[in-house]
Amino acid sequence: MPRVTVTVRDNGGRTATATADYTIAAPVLGGYYLSGGADPTADMAGGNFRSLTQYRSFADGYIFPGYNRPWLITLGRSGVKMNMVLELKHYGAPNTGPQTFTVDGTTYTVPAPAMTIQQRPGTTWPRAYGYSQVLAGLCDGLFARALSQYRTLGFGVNIQLASELDTDHEFGTTESGVTYTWAQSDARAVQAMTYIVDWFKARALPAGTTFSVGVAGFDRACYQRVHPEPLMAKLDFLQWNVYATNATHTALARFRRPKDWAVADLGPIALSRPVLIAEWGVRVAEIPNQAAWIATVPAAIAQLNAERGPRIVRTNYFNSGWGTLSPKETGLAALRAAYATRPYV
Amino acid sequence: MAAPTATASLNASTYSPGDQMTLTVSYGDADTRPVTVTIVVTDAQGNSSAPVKVTAVIDPLTLSVADDSGRTWAKVSDNGSVAVHRAVA
Repeated sequence: MPRVTVTVRDNGGRTATATADYTIAAPVLGGYYLSGGADPTADMAGGNFRSLTQYRSFADGYIFPGYNRPWLITLGRSGVKMNMVLELKHYGAPNTGPQTFTVDGTTYTVPAPAMTIQQRPGTTWPRAYGYSQVLAGLCDGLFARALSQYRTLGFGVNIQLASELDTDHEFGTTESGVTYTWAQSDARAVQAMTYIVDWFKARALPAGTTFSVGVAGFDRACYQRVHPEPLMAKLDFLQWNVYATNATHTALARFRRPKDWAVADLGPIALSRPVLIAEWGVRVAEIPNQAAWIATVPAAIAQLNAERGPRIVRTNYFNSGWGTLSPKETGLAALRAAYATRPYV
Repeated sequence: MAAPTATASLNASTYSPGDQMTLTVSYGDADTRPVTVTIVVTDAQGNSSAPVKVTAVIDPLTLSVADDSGRTWAKVSDNGSVAVHRAVA
């Protein structure tokens, strides 16, 4: 840690010294995600892309690196920092029933997922392994399977538990016929996330393993509920997602919103953690000139990081859904240009 | 003779490369005093010159800034009790 030393000397040679220590942060890592978890290697080529988000369901038999995803190993070994979002959410057919499988000689039977989440009226509610199922140890086999595969990767990753707890819980949840409000679901999730982190940390993990929990960051009360200090003490990052979906949305305002809530509401442990933006994107319907908006991001991140509070250290553009780059090449060129700019270099 | 005092504070604890860094130094010494000497020359006939003033400082202080990472700090202001220096991260 660099140190500046000030010396004051009087005429008689008497001195007083004072010191101040500081840190020069590494550049922010510019990152990416490609729709469908597809191979992003070609899109990232020639740009300063150093970070990647991926999504896997614990229900999937192929979590690390994922089914037919050898490129993830190549990218990870070349130094791209991975944010692996591991979800209790079941992605759907096939195989929503119980599973029996063997991991390193131990056979596990995991029951069918018993919870529904994202219960938006008028939609089909996705299934997920329930927080009670997790706390009862019924999902340990899923974690053992994931860990066994993880150990073969050859590099450490950030494990982000859940994609967006606020999105999952916004309309309440139901497990085994019992309904829970948004706030109740948050409290149950904190217990389950704590269980999962403890489960992994009790076992040998690849060097560089870190943990976080996923939140979109659109609701202040939820953001506070899912970041209690005892959980944050086990986690390495704060996280939120950032989308511009209105012509009035500026990069500074959108990246700042959950940060301001965090600074106001969270405890010192939470605020000591850097911020991983797992997803950010610009919706072309409202902001046709995606490239121009993307160009404003570096300065916004630099300004936020110069202010009090947790520092944003990774930003992964979400080229899917709301963030779909259209036209793609124009958007990619804008991303490459942005990531070639302070604070990304 | 009293010993000088000094405190140093930075405007942040962590900087991104390229950020402007600001160091504020507060310093002093109980012995440090500005003095003004006023001279009037009077001849044998009682004619006096106009007064001439000179100023001086008793026990003046010198301030130096060193950085173990080799960063160069430039003085922006110094009023005798508070000095501000800047550097680039």
